Amino acid sequence: MDMLKIENLKKRFGDKEVLKELSLTVPEKSIFGFIGKNGAGKTTTMKTILGLMKPDEGEIFVNGEKVVFGQTSTNQYIGYLPDVPEYYSFMSPTEYLHFCGEITGLSKAERTKRADELLELVGLKGETHRIKGFSRGMKQRLGIAQALLNKPKLLICDEPTSALDPVGRKEILDILMAVKNETTVLFSTHILSDVEKICTDIAFLNEGTVAIQGKIGDIKSTYRTDEYIIETETEKELRVLTSAFTHLNQTGRTMLKFKENQHSLFEVMNFITDKKLPVLKIERVEPTLESMFMEVVKK
Amino acid sequence: MKSLLSFTKKEFMEHFRSAKIIILTGVFILFAIINPMIAKFTPVIIEMLSESMQGGMEITAGEVTAMDSWLQFIKNAPMALIVFMLLESSIFTKEYQKGTLVLTLTKGLKRHTVLISKTFVMLTLWTAEYFMCYGLTYLFNNILWDNTVAENLTFMALNWWILGVMAICLSVLFSVIAKNNILVLAGTGGVILGSYLIGSLPKIGDYMPTLLMNSNPVIYGLEEVSHYIPAIIIAVSISVISVIVSVPIFNKKHI
Ligand SMILES: Nc1ncnc2c1ncn2[C@@H]1O[C@H](COP(=O)(O)OP(=O)(O)OP(=O)(O)O)[C@@H](O)[C@H]1O
Ligand SMILES: [Mg+2]
Repeated sequence: MDMLKIENLKKRFGDKEVLKELSLTVPEKSIFGFIGKNGAGKTTTMKTILGLMKPDEGEIFVNGEKVVFGQTSTNQYIGYLPDVPEYYSFMSPTEYLHFCGEITGLSKAERTKRADELLELVGLKGETHRIKGFSRGMKQRLGIAQALLNKPKLLICDEPTSALDPVGRKEILDILMAVKNETTVLFSTHILSDVEKICTDIAFLNEGTVAIQGKIGDIKSTYRTDEYIIETETEKELRVLTSAFTHLNQTGRTMLKFKENQHSLFEVMNFITDKKLPVLKIERVEPTLESMFMEVVKK
Repeated sequence: MKSLLSFTKKEFMEHFRSAKIIILTGVFILFAIINPMIAKFTPVIIEMLSESMQGGMEITAGEVTAMDSWLQFIKNAPMALIVFMLLESSIFTKEYQKGTLVLTLTKGLKRHTVLISKTFVMLTLWTAEYFMCYGLTYLFNNILWDNTVAENLTFMALNWWILGVMAICLSVLFSVIAKNNILVLAGTGGVILGSYLIGSLPKIGDYMPTLLMNSNPVIYGLEEVSHYIPAIIIAVSISVISVIVSVPIFNKKHI
């Protein structure tokens, strides 16, 4: 079943059309990367899912139930980490998690257990200071803890890693990886390497619509070209190869590139074996998210 | 019910940790001290002034009684309510501005729970602080003079309390409409000022909630208690309606 389904969502601010017929489907138990450049409408989409913003048109279903603007019952399935989370800063993290547990109806025993587990998971165990003095990274980690508290079916994180240093980013990604068996994760980002590391599914948001969406493997295979790279040990071998095969393109001092329709890969490999040429690597070129993203944005 | 309790607990925790409770209590105790003080020392000051005016006319101040102190109580009550409203008018808007309700509401907490809790907390504080001030004034008056000179004291106290309740309920309504506390104060103040101005007209004035501000005739025993009943009914109705109307508005508010 689909955990989240967005159909033809439209939203404009004044004369600016931010979302134009945006449709999106997030399958259950996926880690879904929602990719788009600054101002693409990621936060707008997420707020609409939570009933915090009213769409001009379109419908959203969470766990099969329709989202309405304002007071919406669908929020009981969702754990949300906003781009800039704001807490009751006069509380300590433990107090805050207990407060969140109480308002969602967890029993005292459950609350204590979940709060301990989660503070351990996000590395805030034993932190007794009030939230007031927390750094951004600490706030972000507390944000994940509060979002996961009542074991939501859908975890929505708005750019959870953007404001963090590499260590902080890795910590957050590790946490998201760790919870993937318990919940569906939808997170927005413009850091493509983060997506590459943990996502199973992606959607590219561009100019208010979803340009590409699907399993990351499927998308890569449609964008995959039959291109190969050969890296030789020295320039000498490179020259031997280029004189034998006319269509090899030199792309670096010891780097060559060619397409399957120019020369057969096995033909080239046979030649290398016959001549016993030392090579460092022969590799099929994988499309990177970056190259795909650029292509989408350019179109 | 449980979520209402925990949100209310959070409100009180915030009031204690931000020292709001201490400030409010301090101010209301101060008013309780000021009421008999002004009553006691006004004639002394007048006497000193008239003596310093050599050859001036003779001013003889009448004997001070508990009545003078109660008149001060009625006179100072608006200040107490204003201080209370200044401190509490941001109880909703501060959460909008900081964005702290986003996480609370997206956790599935019902919006009406937030509304009921905050209203309840303000009413509780107003009741506790106001009657503490009344009680202390009563105590000081009894020590210094004799409270029996004034009639219908409890009724007078209830009048002002009801007006405070109405101001609080109006501020709830303006809090679910407005985004900042200046508008909340302006709205609440505007309605009360309007009621006060209309109240100066004959006939219709008896139906205005601001009639409850002027309890002087009741404690002199010059006016029947029943004279205030229509204004009380109207003030209570405005309070109840304000809170009820706030619920659907808050349900559709951009947080
Ligand atoms: N309340 C608002 N009023 C007017 N315009 C808005 C409002 N909220 C968002 N916008 C506009 O909508 C567009 C999309 O904003 P949004 O915050 O959804 O982008 P985003 O993808 O989250 O960007 P970022 O990566 O910077 O967080 C922006 O151009 C922004 O200026
Ligand atoms: Mg954003």
